[in-house]
Amino acid sequence: MVMESIERTEPDMRELTVLCVDADEHERDAMRDALEADGADILLEAAAVASAVDGAGADDSVRVLDAASVAEAAESLAGDGVDCVVTAYSLPDGTGLDVAARVRDTTPDTPCILFTDESPERIDTMAHENVVVEYLPRDMPEAHEALARLVGNVVSQRSQVGYPLPTREDERLAAVEQYDRPGMEASDAFDRLTALARSHFGVDVAFLGLIDAHQERFLSCAGAGWETLSREDSMCTHTILQDDLLVVEDTHQDSRFADNDRLDELNIRAYAGVPLETPRGTTIGAFCLTHDVPRTFSEAELTNLQRYADEAMEQLELRLQLNKCRSGEAAEGIGTGDGDGGGPS
Amino acid sequence: MQEPRYTFRDLPLSGVDRGTNILVTGPALGGIRELTMRMLLRQHSREGALFIAADVDGRETLKTYERLGGDLDFARVGVVDCTEKGAANADCNIHAVGSPADLTGVGIEFSSLYEQIHANGASQVRTGIYTLSPFVVYAPSKAVFRFLHTLTGRIRTADGLGVCAIDPGTVDEQTLSSIAQAFDGQVELREADGERAIRARGLPDQPEEWQPVEFDTA
Repeated sequence: MVMESIERTEPDMRELTVLCVDADEHERDAMRDALEADGADILLEAAAVASAVDGAGADDSVRVLDAASVAEAAESLAGDGVDCVVTAYSLPDGTGLDVAARVRDTTPDTPCILFTDESPERIDTMAHENVVVEYLPRDMPEAHEALARLVGNVVSQRSQVGYPLPTREDERLAAVEQYDRPGMEASDAFDRLTALARSHFGVDVAFLGLIDAHQERFLSCAGAGWETLSREDSMCTHTILQDDLLVVEDTHQDSRFADNDRLDELNIRAYAGVPLETPRGTTIGAFCLTHDVPRTFSEAELTNLQRYADEAMEQLELRLQLNKCRSGEAAEGIGTGDGDGGGPS
Repeated sequence: MQEPRYTFRDLPLSGVDRGTNILVTGPALGGIRELTMRMLLRQHSREGALFIAADVDGRETLKTYERLGGDLDFARVGVVDCTEKGAANADCNIHAVGSPADLTGVGIEFSSLYEQIHANGASQVRTGIYTLSPFVVYAPSKAVFRFLHTLTGRIRTADGLGVCAIDPGTVDEQTLSSIAQAFDGQVELREADGERAIRARGLPDQPEEWQPVEFDTA
């Protein structure tokens, strides 16, 4: 009984962590009040309304971290779990845009809000043209309420991600979570598949990756030691938007990838990826080949790549079902209580 | 009681829900500017209009808007001018960024102006971008997506209307289709045998067939 209640409440409880950056202690306290105490309800409601999934749970809460400078902010960002950054413009060792630039380097999806009474023309964006932040004037009436609402909105809308999002992303993430269970990486079956694919196609790298909220996690990767890649850098981010496979014969000739330096660092010049679609029709990741020089892929090769992807998806599905059976046994035959059980539709 | 929606005068389009973002596609010389501007015409005084001008400067944008019947109440109408030679003008509520590559600057000016127009009593704001092409050409794609998500997210949560134009001839097909993901639906404009027509896709309750339209511009 105890175990059951833990299983049920945990996934519903969310803690939203907001980092507030301001040199002035009073301003920091005011922000803390606006987000953590008085404004927590406004924030969580905005997050729930804007989000496509169920409303805010009773256990949702907001946690505020604070920092007085760019350097302190960088320290807080190094520890993980910041969901949103709210920053003043003028800081003792730089500006709020320097903080935002730091965010884009480390956890690029995290939304940043410039909360300042500096008017836009006094904000120097020259060195940070690509960071893109939200801006909220601090001197407007009820600014702190507006801030709480904006934080809730930008978090749930994923409004500062640097890549296209699939429609029904919330549903997709819920599906990924189901398949992405501990032990999946260690599976020899996936390593055999990627090793076979790599030698069959004669490419640099063959891999199997799941795309979670902010990064692609490689369950298996033959030919390279990749573990994760941020979504904005991953080509699979685009593969999961398609019904069909994505083939890029030369990344430098494709405007979606030509300015992506990370791909060059990883020696990716050619790519072919097949989306992994669950029996319920949700795309959770991709099975892919990459090569260090431009390369074409024949029809026959793509047909075979599709077969590898089908095989990988079936392995994932079997493991999911196996996990369900096991957790059913652990609960001594009592139903697991997660309604997602049922078979494929 | 009628739900408050955004309606379009003199265009074969039904009204759309608040919070809708529309991508308008068509050839630059085929009347896409006029179509975009017409979709942004304020239908009553409590509607605001916000232009993000990237191909044509702020003054020219306002001139076109007025010629098409747009009401210039500068408390509730304003421009973020992103052209290279764009100049700020307080009387006409024009705010200059100086370059379409500075998406951080465009985003900040947009958010600031949106707040201002809202604070001046516009409960519903129509936001237009004419056009997205300079951003796509001059800024890295990550920044473009970040900017588009920020813009459409704000419009969605503030019950606004977003109308963003792009000429498909200026970007490749893959880029266009990934940009389209950020929008609720599209309005396409085509010109064939001297006849112009529009068609809506992905938006509820719209006519499915091509609908002829008449524009002033050649």
